[in-house]
Amino acid sequence: MSGYLEELKLPDFHLWKRTEEKRIPLSAEIELTERCNNNCIHCYINLPANDQEARERELSFEEIREIVDEAVEMGCLWWLISGGEPLLREDFTDIYLYLKKKGLLVSVFTNATLVTPELVKLFKRYSPRDLEITVYGVTRKTYERVTRTPGSFEAFERGINLLQEENVPFTLKAMALRSNAGELESIKDFCNTITKNHFRFDPFLHLRLRPNHKRNRQIKNERLSPEEIVAIELSDEDRKNGLLKQMCEEKKIGQETVHFDDDNQLFYCGAGRTSFAIDSYGFFKLCSSLSHPDCVYDLRKGSLRKAWEKFVPQIRAMRTEDEECRKRCLSCPLINLCMWCPATAYLECGKLDKWIEDFCQIAHARAQGLANIQ
Amino acid sequence: MDKLERIYAKSRDLVEREIEGEIIIVPLTSGIGDLEDELFSLNKVGKDVWARIDGKKRLFEIVEELKEIYEVDREKLMTDILGFLAELEKRKLVVEEVGCQVT
Repeated sequence: MSGYLEELKLPDFHLWKRTEEKRIPLSAEIELTERCNNNCIHCYINLPANDQEARERELSFEEIREIVDEAVEMGCLWWLISGGEPLLREDFTDIYLYLKKKGLLVSVFTNATLVTPELVKLFKRYSPRDLEITVYGVTRKTYERVTRTPGSFEAFERGINLLQEENVPFTLKAMALRSNAGELESIKDFCNTITKNHFRFDPFLHLRLRPNHKRNRQIKNERLSPEEIVAIELSDEDRKNGLLKQMCEEKKIGQETVHFDDDNQLFYCGAGRTSFAIDSYGFFKLCSSLSHPDCVYDLRKGSLRKAWEKFVPQIRAMRTEDEECRKRCLSCPLINLCMWCPATAYLECGKLDKWIEDFCQIAHARAQGLANIQ
Repeated sequence: MDKLERIYAKSRDLVEREIEGEIIIVPLTSGIGDLEDELFSLNKVGKDVWARIDGKKRLFEIVEELKEIYEVDREKLMTDILGFLAELEKRKLVVEEVGCQVT
């Protein structure tokens, strides 16, 4: 290769550090809809596919274009389309193509049940950076126990087959929950077979973004115990190595991995540093999970630039006076192994700065499990 | 035909982005500059050549313009630019404007 053109591995690309220093919004996520054709028992967001009120409130293609134009001007490069089920949007193809033609590296999260031959053609010609499909089970019984939607397993298989027949690349991931825990090994085999030994799973089930006691109770019932979570994590080589790396990075707290100015600072994570999220109704968020009303910004009444330049620094400057949060969470050496953050704390208890016992137990169980194998 | 008489245009199947002074070539369609976990990066001279690929300029014009800027040996610059264009062409990032050649 001539010295003029260099092919660089993504993590080595020198642009990332510069964008972080200059706070360029390099990466965005948009939830195209909260509606979904499945009704997964553990889902933090889904509304019925035919929810007319939700549909009418959703951002229009025109509004999305305006946001995207502004984001691209500001330096955005990565764009994730998620939901709900984004393929439910009748204008999905228009939105997807618009993002591609703006020079964005576009990823799509989907359940694959609505994949059609036309969409396969679209993805084949205009490849997404990543097409990520969630696997809820590998038998009809388990899959539909999770999705609570008759016929969804068949639709999922049909979608996957259509993509495979046309060699459209995709990755698979799984959620680990009570309803499919007995099948997780088979799900792992299925994913490894189809996507050349790539298996990723998530055992952390978020509570509903919009408070819903009944649904939250169902989600809590689906959560695996800390011991179960650690057992499945440590039985997976990639996951185990990832956790070991995270544990080593604990030592860097205050240097690189997290960004404390002092232990009163609430947002130690990367939310709003080089990334942001937009919900279906045009609300800007520092990350997709951060739904506290004080932490969202209505793009229909403002602009992305204002949200990024004025609103984000205000949120990131938030401090806590909660002693327990300061001592047990923000100063905790296991914070990298914990799913606690202001966003998840708010979902659990309605406050951004509360210690959450369940999360704490998982972090300690993880640390213990990792210590035992070292 | 002298390779320096060739005219190249950027592929219509890519989108060129500039972020913080960095040129990023984003493939629009499959088969163009296909990368999995990589991105292309152009160095300073590469950026200057890339900026001059416009479907009108002949390669020798690009060489002459850059020779003025960089004050380097013409032969060396010519070889490097031809090598660079060959790479871009192999990756389908540029296409030769065949109708415009001088024979």
